[in-house]
Amino acid sequence: MADLTYENKVILEMREHFRDKIIETRVQRERRVVMRTSKDNIESVLLFLKEKMGFLHLSHIGCVDWMEENRFEIVYILWHPQEKINVLVKVDIDRLNPVAPNIDYIWPQANTYEREMREMFGIEFEGLVGPRELILEDWDDLPPMRRDFDTLHYVMENYSFRSGREDAQNVREVIANRTGEEIPEFAKKYSR
Amino acid sequence: MRNEKTTTIYLGPQHPGITGNMMVKLEIQGDTVVKAETHIGYLHRGFEKLMERRNWLQSFTIVCRICVPEPDPNEENYARGVEEIEGREVPEKARWIRMLVLELARIQAYLLWYGGQSGSAGLYTIGQWSVGDRNYVLDLFEELTGGRVYHMYIWPGGVRRDLPKGFKSRVAKVMDYIEKRLDDYDRVMFDNAVFQKRTQGIGYIPPEKAIEWGVVGPPLRAAGIASDVRKDDPYEFYDQVDFVVPDMYNTSDVWARALVRRFEIRQSINIVRQILDKMPDKGPVWNKIPNPHKWRIPRGEAYVKTESARGEFGYYVVSDGSEHPRRIHVRGPAYVHGITLLEKILVGQNIADVSVIMNSLGTCPPEMER
Repeated sequence: MADLTYENKVILEMREHFRDKIIETRVQRERRVVMRTSKDNIESVLLFLKEKMGFLHLSHIGCVDWMEENRFEIVYILWHPQEKINVLVKVDIDRLNPVAPNIDYIWPQANTYEREMREMFGIEFEGLVGPRELILEDWDDLPPMRRDFDTLHYVMENYSFRSGREDAQNVREVIANRTGEEIPEFAKKYSR
Repeated sequence: MRNEKTTTIYLGPQHPGITGNMMVKLEIQGDTVVKAETHIGYLHRGFEKLMERRNWLQSFTIVCRICVPEPDPNEENYARGVEEIEGREVPEKARWIRMLVLELARIQAYLLWYGGQSGSAGLYTIGQWSVGDRNYVLDLFEELTGGRVYHMYIWPGGVRRDLPKGFKSRVAKVMDYIEKRLDDYDRVMFDNAVFQKRTQGIGYIPPEKAIEWGVVGPPLRAAGIASDVRKDDPYEFYDQVDFVVPDMYNTSDVWARALVRRFEIRQSINIVRQILDKMPDKGPVWNKIPNPHKWRIPRGEAYVKTESARGEFGYYVVSDGSEHPRRIHVRGPAYVHGITLLEKILVGQNIADVSVIMNSLGTCPPEMER
């Protein structure tokens, strides 16, 4: 059985210090602690984790688009170099008014993550300095990593198919016809 | 009187000294860099978006393309992320085979690095040798997986095939050969006064800032901090093999990073031998997955990481309970090394050393853009 003493200690200390500003705390598994906080508290939570708890290394900032629930979820993943623990701090951002606090004064490398999120999800970070273009060039469409951006539709609008493929066959259909096999319902959407 | 005028030059995207399809915009004063700015966007393929349209098995075939010189940590991360969310068991032998593949991948990545690092310092012979020797490892991969560069071998539930007959002895032979060759590289590279002069004191990262700036892998160990995912957050059976994480080369310059890698390639050869020794001969290598079209992963998320030749490779995998990944976010070591860190440490360096430093950090555009 894994020893989860420090994992539990992190949760206990965070709960004691932040009380109800920290919710949904849990030990996901050995070396992984998950917690959720609100947008207004994220800076103080991250600063506390870094300065007081020793989570010095920022591993990752991820963003998930939960379109159905009308929110973006930003996940800050920190690493404790001595205790060897990752903590995942989640924050929800309103999808219609996506504004989040900028944290690149805490970790300089957050700047790149935030620039990418600004470009790919359209999330504005208050006071973020840096060229607006990181990967895309002259982009005026919907931010492409959002769930409602349809890749296939974009490709059909902007690109044309190479000539010489007019006789391309649907392999699945050809084989099914030859063998008399019926294509199952769930597989039909994968047929061209 | 000193002339304060600066000149802007563009290193890349078409430049022999740059490590792939990226560009570093340099402002120079005489020979000295006063400002550096990394520009990416020449290689974006949208893997993360593509994966949202594909099912869990189809996504596995494209993750390896995220990193060209060392694709296997991607497969490992993806597979482990899916397994962690789903709670799928992996057979013991498959886990040993995964370790074998990861270490072989590390060895070939270091051999490629020998070429890049020495080539950027003007020593071209070593690159010819090491890339030639790397082919022996690629031959092994070809025999095992069918592919030389992209393997698509480590997949959720295990690995795709068992080892071919006599494969272990061929791996052992190649390891013996490469170990012998490493002494030759030492003679022409590490004993070479040109290489020493070009690398010592160049590209200094302050060790007290290294963790905070997000440095990982060999550059972090070259700052005297023994940090390795294989030891810190052991995956597969890395807690059952013996190896040393170097912290004795702590000058935190290009030279120290080169010494760390020189040390680690020998460690990897040693690990491969231990794996061959400890791997069971018989047993299943794959825990069969259901029909891929109907294969749903329960809602959940996982952050998994693997130590690649350039440092921690992280995947944040999110499932919403459907047949398609909700989100897979890739964090390659170069995402930090090649942008914020590079921009910081290039300041004050000689323009001729820029590509030496880039090679020592392992900047790799494919994983910055995915």
